[in-house]
Amino acid sequence: MQSYWFGDVKDGSCLPCSGTTADLADRLLSLRTSMDRFVLPDWTMARDCGFCRDRADYLAKLRDVCVVIAKRRIREKYQEKDTELLQMVRTLDELDTVINLLSGRVAEWYQIRQPSFSRKYRRTPAHSLVRSIGQRSGGVLGRVTGDVERLSLTRTILAQDVSGRADEVMPNCSALIGGLVAARLLLHAGGLLPLARSPGSAIQVLGARTALFSHIRTGTPPPKHGIIFQHRRVHNAPRQVRGRVARVLAAQLAIAARVDYYRGVTAPEFLERAQARIDAAGRVP
Amino acid sequence: MIRVNGVLVSRGEGGVYGERMLGDLRVWDPYRSKLSALYYLGKGIDLEPGMRVLYLGAAHGTTVSHVADYVEVVYAVEFAPRPVQDLLEVARRRKNIVPIMADAAQPDQYAPLLEPVDLICQDVAQPDQAAIALRNCAFLKRGGTLILMLKTRSVDVRTEPVVVFCDAVSEIQSAGLVVRDSTWLAPYHHDHAAIICEKEQADAISS
Repeated sequence: MQSYWFGDVKDGSCLPCSGTTADLADRLLSLRTSMDRFVLPDWTMARDCGFCRDRADYLAKLRDVCVVIAKRRIREKYQEKDTELLQMVRTLDELDTVINLLSGRVAEWYQIRQPSFSRKYRRTPAHSLVRSIGQRSGGVLGRVTGDVERLSLTRTILAQDVSGRADEVMPNCSALIGGLVAARLLLHAGGLLPLARSPGSAIQVLGARTALFSHIRTGTPPPKHGIIFQHRRVHNAPRQVRGRVARVLAAQLAIAARVDYYRGVTAPEFLERAQARIDAAGRVP
Repeated sequence: MIRVNGVLVSRGEGGVYGERMLGDLRVWDPYRSKLSALYYLGKGIDLEPGMRVLYLGAAHGTTVSHVADYVEVVYAVEFAPRPVQDLLEVARRRKNIVPIMADAAQPDQYAPLLEPVDLICQDVAQPDQAAIALRNCAFLKRGGTLILMLKTRSVDVRTEPVVVFCDAVSEIQSAGLVVRDSTWLAPYHHDHAAIICEKEQADAISS
């Protein structure tokens, strides 16, 4: 017997499906087709058994079913917990870029208005510099500084959201390297499933694409770390053990990502063991 | 194919992706569409009004919309949810596009929806592009054509495009398809090749 979207065909006779478009979609999604024994249908079979009136009707019904299935699949995909997190991290990174660009520009602009102003020998962080420029400038420059400040506030709130969401979506990874860095790993892997399927060696160099490909192509030294460098245990580690810390951390993250994907809850015993391993790797012999 | 003063166009409702119009004809830009580039290079096979086409890697449905202007029906397969949203919108206004959200590498997922087709166009960014095309040849009529847009950089960035191309051609030939023609899509697209193959008539296969 061959099963098609419009019905089952056996020994040349066709048993058409009845029901709504949604019923047809349900049936289709439950079909298991093997390509080895598959025989393509002729649309006239559907007409002859009374499923549709003519070619136009056949195609119209087929389109309706396909649209229903596509919409359903899209909804399922978007309901996965990590999908929105990916957008949040992208927005966060883009906010950073925009804020940096605009703060730099604002300072340059202000320097034209106040030739005596210089950023040298100042200990003020960028955001308070922007604020003080804003207080002393009117007009459009004042507005832009105000916008930058508002963007910075949004960024702070978003960063907390990202971190909180990452704790939910990937509790074990977040526990090891913190929500923000974990979320960035997720972004570079493209989702929790691809991250869970990545080996530790891939996670170690996620985000170091340029260095990795220059290594593969021209034989420059391989990158020791990608995004995981942002974690303090990697960037604070003494130079001679930094590669080792990155490697061990990445290996533990690979396990953590799998626990996150397949179990979805914190695994305290695993975390304890993983932390001990990473600490041991950071000790200088 | 309809050409106006050397410009490739298709006849249909405009405004799908902001394409330029020449009267009621939609300009089909070779720099945006690999299939259009193929026609500009004087290759490929003409799209006929009665054709049934399977388009793998339909993406946002821009090229698909032009193909649909020419042929009877296009089965448009795309996997990623974001482009499928756009594809659905294109299909809503063009009644001869059947949007299928499925993985082209797993034809069994959508086999019950299809019928034998005259032409398969494949434009997917996967490392096993030739294998995907061969798996989908089950849907091709005898005497039908497969146009494989080979994205050599998606197969392997480290290998020279020419090597990737030759490997793909020999893979297709050893599977029993006849490679009729092939071309690089420069200057419109870099490191992209088009391989035009034909599934032979039944008697030729059995001999």
